[in-house]
Amino acid sequence: MKQILPQGVGATEFADALQAFRKVVGNEFVYTGEALSGYADPYSIVADDDAHAASAAVAPGSAEQVQAILRAANQYGVPLWPVSCGKNLAYGAAAPRMAGTVVLDLKRMNRILEVSEEDGYALVEPGVSYYDLYNHIQAKGYKLWLDVPDPGWGSVLGNALEHGVGYTPYGDHLAMQCGMEVALPTGELVRTGMGALPDSNTWQLFKYGFGPYLDGMFSQSNFGVVTKMGIWLMPEPPGYRPYMISFQREEDLEQVVDILRPLKVGMVIQNAATIRSLLLVAAVNATRSQYTDKAGPLPDSILRRIMADQDIGMWNIYGALYGPPPVMDTLWTVIRDSFSKVPGAKFYFLEDRKRENDLLIGRADAMRGVPRLSEFSFINWTGGGGHIGFSPVSPIRGKEAMKQYTMVRDRLHEYGFDYMSIFAIGWRELHHVVELLFDRRDPAIKHKAEDVFRLMVREAAAAGYGEYRTHLSFMDDIAATYGWNDHALMKLHQTIKDAVDPKGILAPGKSGIWPARYRRSRP
Amino acid sequence: MMRFSTSVGFALLFAGASAFAADEPAGKAIFDHNCAVCHAAGPGHPGTQRLAQARGPARAVLEQRTDLTPDYIRMVVRKGLIEMPPWRPVEIDDAALAQLVQYLTHGRK
Repeated sequence: MKQILPQGVGATEFADALQAFRKVVGNEFVYTGEALSGYADPYSIVADDDAHAASAAVAPGSAEQVQAILRAANQYGVPLWPVSCGKNLAYGAAAPRMAGTVVLDLKRMNRILEVSEEDGYALVEPGVSYYDLYNHIQAKGYKLWLDVPDPGWGSVLGNALEHGVGYTPYGDHLAMQCGMEVALPTGELVRTGMGALPDSNTWQLFKYGFGPYLDGMFSQSNFGVVTKMGIWLMPEPPGYRPYMISFQREEDLEQVVDILRPLKVGMVIQNAATIRSLLLVAAVNATRSQYTDKAGPLPDSILRRIMADQDIGMWNIYGALYGPPPVMDTLWTVIRDSFSKVPGAKFYFLEDRKRENDLLIGRADAMRGVPRLSEFSFINWTGGGGHIGFSPVSPIRGKEAMKQYTMVRDRLHEYGFDYMSIFAIGWRELHHVVELLFDRRDPAIKHKAEDVFRLMVREAAAAGYGEYRTHLSFMDDIAATYGWNDHALMKLHQTIKDAVDPKGILAPGKSGIWPARYRRSRP
Repeated sequence: MMRFSTSVGFALLFAGASAFAADEPAGKAIFDHNCAVCHAAGPGHPGTQRLAQARGPARAVLEQRTDLTPDYIRMVVRKGLIEMPPWRPVEIDDAALAQLVQYLTHGRK
């Protein structure tokens, strides 16, 4: 495996930096050469295999070791790319944005420092996965629920920092975060909120402390390495009832979203409910080749056959009721009556879905915070493994949802891809998360996927839609779309970056934020 | 109760080594902790499902395979294979990988 040094770093400085890292963590936790294969982007979409290649990786076991590594990186000018569990697979996994960056792998920092059943929170390190925290809570018998995203092997801390979402009423993970410990790029350790008060017992209880509220600054950024984070956990409710509602026509999306908005904003729908497109639901239990061997958009006759085979709709809401049974009964009456206005709407509880591996079984776990990976069967729809998320945000309005749907569907069909998506409903917005599947072994398909992705970013921005998160390869593209007032926001990011990281060693290029040293000759 | 039966089975898969009998192979705990969520038998496991499609049902469940070689297992774990992502030494170190290889080749009871 050839070694790619970070731009602007000589072989001697690089070797000296690795030696310094070894002194901090020991030889066994500095990885080079063949040991770096696990740091490759598994589903790279770009033609250049080295675009996001790491030069080395270092795995500290404590915040103190993180501080020492940051100081050494400053001394030798070697850039670091922090990852927590490294399982953000559709966004680049454990690979760095800039080729040659050393991965700061925080997986060994996997301590669950505290869980308070009484106050409903956990304090965790970056390497704690959802499975780890879930198993810990089960083993202790705490009456607490996690909120989990779809990939349960991801990091609790990392997912919140990346603005990830789950599916219980606590689905907005960064909103449920409370208190951080952060190693600044220069190595200084800071605690935010009430954590700045010595001997405070409210670090995980009150987010804001005194003075500016800084926690969000460390999300999707390169301003510090978060070494501890508080996350609020939901008390186990007295009752739980997951449900599914299917709709039969493409154009129903508009009416469904308009019905959904007041229910969600008014908290009649309590959780982060989702509307899933036909093929995303179908792909969990079927493959494209079962229905056709022809390329191109699936004809309506096949779509109808899939709907009949799996008893699903063109659009499918997955939601859940929480609380005492009389409360759930009342909420359900409102929800059912509201969506009954859509012709052909069908309503299901878990006992109505008898098929093996029916999606509602998986959603029933996800919406009560049980981590799983079962839904990733959807990547088997076409085979080839590659998948990437295109995630523009819009208001919760039917016309906007239809506009986004038709824009993206038509472009994907034009480039030879199927449309599969989730409309995830937040507090006031729709996240339109589109899954673009491609065969990672086929350069021509990858090229098409990259082209259509960049085109959709530009077209979405022109229509006023921005993505909330993206893969390493598109961070600059997305950042450029947030350009109001001559890119004033990016200029502010750069001002902060230069102040907290004067040597420019932490995560160059994260979210399109480059340190001064790379700004003129962006790698 | 259908919803709970699913999750109980799942929780057991991730219960870790301490939940298993002392005479079970060490590699089984490694498998259960790292691999089972995708590769256990039964529905809801993307890796098993994909292998059934690509190699046929008889070669879908890793713990039932008799044709896996140590080099092949090491290669797939470290480098990934199509849908499967690679695993870093910090997730499965070389000693744990050796136990996993032993379990999946000839260490099963």
